[in-house]
Amino acid sequence: MGTPYYIPETNIPLPPVNADIITTACDYCIVACGYKVYRWPVKGGAQGGPTADENAFGVDFPVDPLGSWVAPNQYNVVMHNKEPHHVIIIPDKDNTTVNMNGDSSIRGGAIAQKVYNPQTPTRDRLKSPMIRMFGTLMPVSWDFALDIAAEVGKHVIKKHGANAYGVKTFSYGFMENTYAISKFALRHISTANFTFHDTPSDVTSTPGFRDAGFDNFGPSYQDWHDADTLMICGTDPYESKTILFTQWIMPAIQNGQKTIFLGPRRTAGIAYAEANGGLWIDLQPGTDLPVVSAIARVIVENGWEDKEWIKKWVNNKFESSSGFGQGTRNTPWQWRTTWGKFQTKDYDDWKKWLLAQDFSDPQTAADIAQIDVQKIYTAAEWLAKPRADGTRPKSSIMIEKGFYWSNNTGNTNAISSLGITVGAGGRPGQVIGRAGGHQRGGLRGGKYPRNKSPEKLPGRRRRAMDTDRYLMAGHTRMAYVIGNTWIQAMCASQNLASKFEELTVQNEHQIRSFDKQEIIDTLKKRADSGGTVVISQDIYLIDPIGARYSDIIFPASGWGEHDFTRANGERRLRLYSKFYDAPGEAKPDWWIAAQLGKKMGFDGFDWENSNDVLEEASRFSRGSRKDFYMLHVAAKKEGITLHEKFGQYGTDGIQGPVMMMEDGTLEGTVRLHDTTRTLPETGPAAANVFNKKLTHFNTQTGKNNIQKAPWSLFSDYWEWMKPREGELWASSGRINERWQSGYDDRRRPYIVQRWPENWVEIHPEDAKARGIESGDYVMLYSDRIPVQVDTIVGIEGDDFSFTKLMENGHIELTKAAITAVAIVTPALKKGVMYMDFLHTAQPANALTGRVVDWISGNYNYKMGVGMVKKIGVSPYKNDFRSMSFARRDIV
Amino acid sequence: MTTSKGLIEAINGPADIRKTSKKCVVNRRTFLLTSGIATATVMVAMHTSEGLAKVPALVATYERKLIGKLSELKVDEPLDFNYPDEGAYSDSMIVKLGKQAGGGIGPDKDVVAFNYICTHQGGPLHGTYKPNDKALGPCPLHLTTFDLTRHGMFISGQAYQSLPQVLLELEGDNIYAVGMFGLIYGRYDNLKG
Repeated sequence: MGTPYYIPETNIPLPPVNADIITTACDYCIVACGYKVYRWPVKGGAQGGPTADENAFGVDFPVDPLGSWVAPNQYNVVMHNKEPHHVIIIPDKDNTTVNMNGDSSIRGGAIAQKVYNPQTPTRDRLKSPMIRMFGTLMPVSWDFALDIAAEVGKHVIKKHGANAYGVKTFSYGFMENTYAISKFALRHISTANFTFHDTPSDVTSTPGFRDAGFDNFGPSYQDWHDADTLMICGTDPYESKTILFTQWIMPAIQNGQKTIFLGPRRTAGIAYAEANGGLWIDLQPGTDLPVVSAIARVIVENGWEDKEWIKKWVNNKFESSSGFGQGTRNTPWQWRTTWGKFQTKDYDDWKKWLLAQDFSDPQTAADIAQIDVQKIYTAAEWLAKPRADGTRPKSSIMIEKGFYWSNNTGNTNAISSLGITVGAGGRPGQVIGRAGGHQRGGLRGGKYPRNKSPEKLPGRRRRAMDTDRYLMAGHTRMAYVIGNTWIQAMCASQNLASKFEELTVQNEHQIRSFDKQEIIDTLKKRADSGGTVVISQDIYLIDPIGARYSDIIFPASGWGEHDFTRANGERRLRLYSKFYDAPGEAKPDWWIAAQLGKKMGFDGFDWENSNDVLEEASRFSRGSRKDFYMLHVAAKKEGITLHEKFGQYGTDGIQGPVMMMEDGTLEGTVRLHDTTRTLPETGPAAANVFNKKLTHFNTQTGKNNIQKAPWSLFSDYWEWMKPREGELWASSGRINERWQSGYDDRRRPYIVQRWPENWVEIHPEDAKARGIESGDYVMLYSDRIPVQVDTIVGIEGDDFSFTKLMENGHIELTKAAITAVAIVTPALKKGVMYMDFLHTAQPANALTGRVVDWISGNYNYKMGVGMVKKIGVSPYKNDFRSMSFARRDIV
Repeated sequence: MTTSKGLIEAINGPADIRKTSKKCVVNRRTFLLTSGIATATVMVAMHTSEGLAKVPALVATYERKLIGKLSELKVDEPLDFNYPDEGAYSDSMIVKLGKQAGGGIGPDKDVVAFNYICTHQGGPLHGTYKPNDKALGPCPLHLTTFDLTRHGMFISGQAYQSLPQVLLELEGDNIYAVGMFGLIYGRYDNLKG
C-alpha cells in the first residue's frame, strides 16, 4: 500500500484528571451542539491514563459506544496564556437539551482542527493588519491601518454621502460583534448601503412567513419530534443540521412520524425516511409553489382543513384590513397589499381564490414540477386527513433555503397558507418555521435607514438598498467587508467580480508610498475618481475580496478566542467560552469596529471587553426572539457579569425570550406563538417584555393572515430561466461535511481528502448523453446569466416584473463558466445538477441570475442554469486517496 | 471493561438512554454480536503497562496474523476476523470487492480489510456491506457510510475519521494482517486499548 493522502493517527493523549474543563457550543450549523474543551499544559508532560480514575472523563478505555472516545481529529495544541496546552474538544456527553448523550456531526466533531496551530494548515490565519503597498499586502501596526481606514472613511462620507460607505457583514458572528458592527454602520454612519453575508439587501428572508405572522424560529426541537406528519421543504436536516435529524427527527420516524420531503435531490436523511415509509416529492427547481398549492387544494376540496383552528386563528374580513391601510403605518404587510395580489378577506376568500387557479390543479402542478401526481394526494392525506375517530394528525412544516431561495415570496406565501390550513403554528408538535442555516447571533445596534434607500417600489414604501446593484453602478466608494466573501456568495458572481476588479485594482490611484498621509490621499483620490476602497476583515485572507481587491486587511479573532454569546435554531442562548489565545494581533470584530468608530469621531465605543459590549447590547434584545435582557438584570442582582450569568447555564443554555418570574427566577420560552401557554397574571412586571409573539402571531391582530400565492409573479422568470436545449438546472446547497465557504474545511486534511475541490452531481441519463463519467472534469457554462442593471423608480404595478425589466432593457445577459469534478448519481432528479453552494475558486453562484425576487429583494440562488461538457479526466477518477464517487443515499 | 454490555445497551437502549429519550435509534436486528467483543482479558493485560506518551504507532509493532486464504474469498462475500488483538472493537472484515481498491491486494488489487466499528460513536457496521456500492453502512446509529475502495473514507455522514483499514500482505495464497491505518473506535491507542 502506498501512503494515503491523509494518514490517520493511531493513538491519542488522554486528558489528566486535573485538566481544565471549559464549556462551549459548536461554531457551525444552526443546532449549535454543546461541547466541552479539556485543556492541560504541555509543560510537565502530564497525561491521563486509561482507567476511570486516571483521566478527566472518568471512564475506562476502551470506552462504550456513544462514550467519551477521542478521535485524533478532536485533539490539538493551542497557546493559552502564552503557554502551549493540549486541548481535546468533544461533544458534551452531559448535554440534555440539544445533542443528548454527546451526539455530533462531522463538522463539530472535528472542530478541534479549527483552532490556530502553526503546525497545521491553519497557519495562514491573519495575524496582523495589512495595507496593500506597491501592489502587495504588507503587515503594519493597528494604528497605521486604522488611521488610514478612518481618514478615508470620513472623507467618503463627507464628500459622497453616507450611502457611499458600504458595509457588508456576517449576520451571525456572535451578538457582541454584530451589535458593535451595526452600531458603527447604522447608528453612526447611518448608511443604507448595508447588508448581510447572504443577501444583497437587508430584507426579511421569508416574506410569506412575515406577512402570515410566523417567526422563522418559533418552534422548539421537541416540536419537530412530536409532529405526526412533518413536511420538510428544501433541505435534508441530516445533511446540514445533523443533530436536529439524528436526535429529534430520526427517532420520530422510527416511532411512526410520516415525513414528507420536498426537493430535487435525495440524500441520506431522505433515503432513511423513504426506507421507513416517508415520501420524497422530487420536484424540479422553482416549482414548489404549484405543488404546495395543489396539496392545499386537495385538502380544502376534501374538507380536511383544521376548521376550528382556522375559525379561531385566521383574520376575518374586518381583522384582515384592520390597523393598516390608513396613514403612515408602513408595515411590510401594508405595502405588499398595495399590489392587491396577496391579501385576502378571510379564509373563504382565500379558498375561493385557490380553487380558481389553474396551477393548483393537482395534475397541472404535477406536470409543472415533473412529479407523480399521487404524491400530492398522499401528502395532503398525511398532513390533514382526519383519522377514523375524528382526531387530526399533528402536522408541522419546516422550510429552508432550497425552498425559500427558489421563489422567495411565492413559496413562503404558499407554504404559510398550507400551514394555516393544516393547523400548524402555535401548538406543541404543530408548528411552522425554518430549520435554519447558520446560528443566530444578530443583534442590532442601530436602525436601518430605509428612507435613504434608492429602491422605490410601486406603492408607498422603500425597500432596503440592493447593495450589489449599487456597487455595480459605481456608487460604493468604500466597502467594509466583514467575515464574508461578498462576491462568490452573491449571484452572477463572476460579473460582480469583474466590476470589483475595475473599481479597485484597475483604478489609477494605487498606493505607491510608505507615507501614511500620501497613502490616505491616494485612497481618497481613488474614491473621488469613482473607484472603491475595500477593507476586508476576516480570520483568513479571502480570495478575491481580501487577497486581490482590498487595500486594507483587518485580522479578526473568533470562536474560542474570546467569550461570546449566540442562539441556536430554537432560540437557545449559550456562552461560547474563550479557551485559548488568538493568533498574533488578531482582534475581535467588535474591537475593530470600536477602534474605527473612535478614530472616526463616534462616541459609545469605549468597551474594555466583550462582556461590556453584551451588557450594553442586552437592552436592544428586548422584545426580540432572543430577548435576554432579564439575564442582565439577574446578573446585576447577583453581582456577576452577564457572561458569567450565561456561563451558569452551561451547554444547555436558556431559550429566549427570557422572562423573570416574581420570585426572581428566570424562565425561557419553549416555543413562540404558543397558544397553549399561560403567562403570569402579574403581566409584564418590572423590565419583562410580554409581546404578542409569545402567545399569538406577529400580525396586526395576533391572528394569521392567510395569503394568496400567485404563480404568475414568478412564472415568467422561471419560464425564461428553465433549461433550454442542452442545458440543465445548476442548483446548489450545503453538503454535510463542509461548512459555508469551507474556510475551516479547506484546512482539514480529513475533509480535503473527501472534497478536494468543486464537484457537480449529474443524473446518469444526463451524464450519458454528454459522455460524462464520475471523476471527469467538466465545464459548466452559460452565456445567458441575467443581471438586473439600473436602479429604477417603480410607478406601475409590474415595473419590476421580470418581463417588464426585460422589455425595458434593465436585464443584461452575461457569460459565466466554472469547472467541477463530475459525480454521476441517480440520487438526483433528471435534468438537475447540484453543487456545493460556495467554493471560492469555482463558485456555483456564477451560474445564477442576479435578478432579485421583485417583491422581497432576495436572490433566488437555487435557480442556476447552464450547459455542461467534459473537458478531461480529473486526478481523482483513478486515484483512491481523494474523493469518493459512491452515492450518498445508500440505505 | 464493560464493552460488550455497553454495545448491547447501545443497540437495545440502555436504561439511562431509554430514560432520557425516545432517542435510541438502533434496531437490534441490525447488530450481530461477534465473539471477539466480549474477551476483555487481553485488553486488561495490555493497558496496565508502559507510559502513555504520544508516539506514532509503528506498523512493525502490529502482530503479523494469518487471517485467511485468497482462494477462499468470493466476490462481495465478507469474512470476519479480529485484529489487532482479540479485545474490544477488534472486529474486522475482509472482502474481495471485485473492483480495484486503495490498499487492495491480490492479482486484482481488490482484497481489502477494515475494522467494523463506526468511527463516529461506535456503532456496529456488521452485516452492512453493500456490494453495489462497495461500501459499509449506513451505521445504524447515525447513518454514516464508508467507501471501501477508498481507504475507508466516509461517503456521507458524521464519522470523525476514515474507517480503520487493516493492512494486508499476500504470501502465496495466505493473507496476513500486518498493521492498521487509523485509530479504532473506543481506544486511545490501537495497541493498548
